[in-house]
Amino acid sequence: MKISPHDVLAALKTVKESGQERDIISLGMVKDLETGDSRASFTLLMDDPSSPASERLAQAARAAVESLGVKEVSVQTAQRQKMMMGSMARSSDLIPEVKAAIAVASGKGGVGKSTLAVNLAVALNLSGAATGLMDTDVYGPSVPHLMGSRTGPVVVGGKIEPPTAYGIKMISMGYFLPPNEAVIWRGPMLHKAIRQFLGDVRWGALDYLVIDLPPGTGDIQLSLSQTIPLTGAVIVSTPQDVALTVAAKAIAMFEKLNVPILGVVENMSYYACPHCGQREDIFGHGGARAAAEKMHFPFLGEVPLDTKIRAASDQGRPIALDSESACGKAFEEIAAAVAAQVELAQKQAGQDIQIE
Amino acid sequence: MAIVPKKVKLDAGGDTLAIEWQDGHVSVYGYESLRDSCPCATCTGAEGGTPRKQAKAISDALPMFKKAARPLRAEIAGRYALQIFWSDGHSSGIYGFSYLRDLCACDECRAAKMKKAGDLKS
Repeated sequence: MKISPHDVLAALKTVKESGQERDIISLGMVKDLETGDSRASFTLLMDDPSSPASERLAQAARAAVESLGVKEVSVQTAQRQKMMMGSMARSSDLIPEVKAAIAVASGKGGVGKSTLAVNLAVALNLSGAATGLMDTDVYGPSVPHLMGSRTGPVVVGGKIEPPTAYGIKMISMGYFLPPNEAVIWRGPMLHKAIRQFLGDVRWGALDYLVIDLPPGTGDIQLSLSQTIPLTGAVIVSTPQDVALTVAAKAIAMFEKLNVPILGVVENMSYYACPHCGQREDIFGHGGARAAAEKMHFPFLGEVPLDTKIRAASDQGRPIALDSESACGKAFEEIAAAVAAQVELAQKQAGQDIQIE
Repeated sequence: MAIVPKKVKLDAGGDTLAIEWQDGHVSVYGYESLRDSCPCATCTGAEGGTPRKQAKAISDALPMFKKAARPLRAEIAGRYALQIFWSDGHSSGIYGFSYLRDLCACDECRAAKMKKAGDLKS
């Protein structure tokens, strides 16, 4: 009777050490499996091979394989190597060549996070810094549209080669979904997607990775903050109280996760009538600046409510590319303020935590 | 200022893990109590199961010897937490630094906690 390694593995998967949650296969305790005509042999790696518990485990493994009808079962035991003690595997290794990861966040939706993220990335790139843009809003990915990017990523050598627009490397869930499909995922799937966006995309050397977040304080924010050490977060808000009170919750979240707040941007700050030039403070004005000052965070700048920004966004040509325009200048100034805060945050980051 | 470790020593002798904090404080945790304090959803019972500590109380009533799990390795999660990979295969607990500091059971921290509880009462 010919024994297949597959059957033996399946049988061994039912064997657990007493007190263990996982079986000996998923714990990587079985090595050197060989099978032949009515025989099977393998090695069990154990912490203490000579202990009675280890002998019982070897017996249980043998019995499991014998129950397949294998006549000759040979079980060797060996000392398990201590795993990676002293090594310091840091999660930041996912993006080793990225100097600064900046999250763009808000509490409330619809305040212009993606617009700010896109224009911030463009302005940073125009200033001469190598910049990437990661759209983590898997529910409503809008970065490809805002950047006028239609061609998706390609996989080269097992890694995702990100598409480029205006010199900026980008990734978005938008590339992986047909336009009328929706992502309806729970936390663990979102977590996987975030890890893939970081670890499986060939970002290369970047000065800044701008990360557009979905609104709120949910799974994606938490996964991102656990997976990489964010350099800091930029909070976007419109000036009215209802947006600011929710923005305060986003700030509280980042403080809990020990992510520095780089500052606050006021979007839709005021409306200048293109006909008469009169200024109208639709959502009030200066609310974000006042809130930032009250909480002692830097105020990074304000962006007016301007039809040109909307038109440029819909055309897929971010307004920041037009650095001569008033709106372009506003984003340029915000980018400079963000860059200064990033430098400060990097200086204050302190030393790495040693694990031994 | 956030509470951040300077050094994490997985094997500090006698089945303990030690953390030296950036403010100079040193915390020592027994493997067993640290494993039992795992903050993940399964161990705290947030998924609807029996919380680990409660389950332990029952199994401890039947004192069969069970070797305590030990940390095989650990990673820093983002900027705020330690993820411990235990020898029992469990690794979903993300131990926030402030949570770990809160777990510190040294005389000084215990006294501070008792004082705080006393202040709240009065």
